Amino acid sequence: MLRTLAALFLMSTAAIADTADGEALKAMTWDQIVEEARGGTVNWFMWGGADTINRYVSDHVGAILKRDYDITLNRVGVADAVEVVNNVLTEKEAGITDTGAVDLIWINGENFRSMKQGDLAFCGYTDLLPNNALVNWDNPAIANDFGVPVDGCEVPWNTVQFAFAHDSATLAEPPRDMAALLDWIKANPGRFTYPAPPDFTGSVFVRHVFYHAAGGADALLGPFDQARFDDAAAKTWAILNEIEPFLWREGQTYPNTIAQLNEMFANGEVAFTFNYDPSQFGLAVQAGTYPETTRSYGLTGGTIGNTNYTLIPFNSPNKAAAMVVQNLLLSGDEQLEKAKPDVWGASPAIDITRTSAEVQAGFAAIEGHPSVVSADVLAKAALPELQADWLTAIEAGWQAQVGN
Amino acid sequence: MTGRAHPFWLLAPVLLVLGGLFLTALGLTLIRSFRYMPVLGLTEPDLAAYAAIVTSPGFLASLGLSLWIALASTSLSALMAMAAALLLRQTFPGRRLIGFLFQMNLTVPHVVGAVGILYLVSQSGAFARLAYAGGLITAPGQFPALTHDPLAIGVILLYVWKEVPFITLILLANLQTIGVDHESTARSLGASPWQTFRHVTLPMLRPGLLAASALVFAFAFGAYEIPLLLGASSPKALPVLAWQSHTDVDLAARPEAAAMAVVIALIGLALLLAYARLTRPMSDRGRDAR
Repeated sequence: MLRTLAALFLMSTAAIADTADGEALKAMTWDQIVEEARGGTVNWFMWGGADTINRYVSDHVGAILKRDYDITLNRVGVADAVEVVNNVLTEKEAGITDTGAVDLIWINGENFRSMKQGDLAFCGYTDLLPNNALVNWDNPAIANDFGVPVDGCEVPWNTVQFAFAHDSATLAEPPRDMAALLDWIKANPGRFTYPAPPDFTGSVFVRHVFYHAAGGADALLGPFDQARFDDAAAKTWAILNEIEPFLWREGQTYPNTIAQLNEMFANGEVAFTFNYDPSQFGLAVQAGTYPETTRSYGLTGGTIGNTNYTLIPFNSPNKAAAMVVQNLLLSGDEQLEKAKPDVWGASPAIDITRTSAEVQAGFAAIEGHPSVVSADVLAKAALPELQADWLTAIEAGWQAQVGN
Repeated sequence: MTGRAHPFWLLAPVLLVLGGLFLTALGLTLIRSFRYMPVLGLTEPDLAAYAAIVTSPGFLASLGLSLWIALASTSLSALMAMAAALLLRQTFPGRRLIGFLFQMNLTVPHVVGAVGILYLVSQSGAFARLAYAGGLITAPGQFPALTHDPLAIGVILLYVWKEVPFITLILLANLQTIGVDHESTARSLGASPWQTFRHVTLPMLRPGLLAASALVFAFAFGAYEIPLLLGASSPKALPVLAWQSHTDVDLAARPEAAAMAVVIALIGLALLLAYARLTRPMSDRGRDAR
């Protein structure tokens, strides 16, 4: 009896070890990996702040995984991906190398850099996914995540580009470039504010002012340069301190989170809000939080865009199943499904010209939400992200020079 | 067998939870605060994290703000709870309803209450809209700033709203145990209501009041989610500062977060020690109240 139990126990741990052993998986073919993945569970930790995204993942993607691959998708909502980074980091400290709680993370940017900094990601397997062929890895905006090379450690999911939103009923013609916006702020005291960095969205707004002060993004690309930073930073803090008395609450305090700014915009306390993902404006209008006359736009000088990804931690015990999930998310059908405005409205991370004719026709037929500026229009004036060291320096500089 | 079970066995479950979970976590935080994090390659313990946070420009302002929030919330709550407990001890029409409201308050989480405060007293909240409808203001900015303000009024309001019922119920239980005999005796000997309260009731309630106040102070000092939701962005309350370091994208900031957590814990501990010293001599004097 005891021997049978021991044998069963050893067999089950061996079965777990198979999909936890990333190196073994890299040596298999895709069909073998799908077989390994059958019956598995994937704990996907992702930002849970949007009901529509949660529904798409849990109901739509989860149903396909169960039906076609017998994989159970367990979506875990978090407020910020940094919590998941902390989780995996603590697991590594505790010596948990095979049975981590996290199988998949929706992640990008500075959090990706943290995962790489701590050697916390499973890398080098992305060529195995058949749908990886749909991704244009020659595009530096996809091959680099905030200036950090992806190096096969994560799989793209969406592309986003920063846009502003305003209520066209109270403000018919908004300022369309940064200089005009700064003038508008001074002419309309108390009607604008931005979340204090290190909030993710507040931070990217400050970066737009930084690009404007530096005379363009080209001077700032590449590794962190203290001299170039100091020069642009001095001008940026001067601009932000100059407009501070004309902000909401005379700039004595800033919203702590983007959620707070969205709330103030919905209540009419401020005239603008903004977001990396303009589809959020459409979703808020559909939910009744924003007025129907909300309209969004980008700046003529360009707005910052980036890609977000999914990543498998080094200690996930369900790597095969997680890889199957990633492959499904990259497929033309799924990228089309989430691009539909009533589902999510998220822009694809794959090259549409590489998909089937049906999928391409589907994309062409999509009618955007009136409150959401089209991704094509925004993409005409797209600015790249800076490497993470610049971000840290800008955030620290803002807190010391402007935020106190 | 007279039931003199070895006290250790009775205490074992609690000791397991306290020692196993709480003390271990505290110990690990302490180790991290000394910059010993092998997973990040930090293998030489030192005090650099403590030096960094104490010399950082916002630390003293944050500490001051946290102390202000905790002191103001605790004193206001204690005063109002004292009055409420004395009132609720009597029976009057509607007493059961008010008692129920006090008890119901305990079940509402702090965060839910904070959202409620935002809906009510923010510059675009219900009261502001009433003022606008009544013609008192014409723009959200004209309504007084009670949330995200430098004096943390919204934060204190929430803590007072949540802690008054908590302290009141503790005091009510104490008052029931004490009974009315002492006060009746004092009144029959000619003491005025105020003298009775000050020389008889208050000294007997003092241990319970101090215990409840110490709990409330420690919570108001160490909680981060309410100042995050309702507080200004600068200066931040100390726990918010710690939380931001803990969620900083640079993993090297984790030791500083741990150091701040240790500082907060030490202040809480100092408070508990102060409470212990304050109540020990009192408990003897309280027994023979004159």
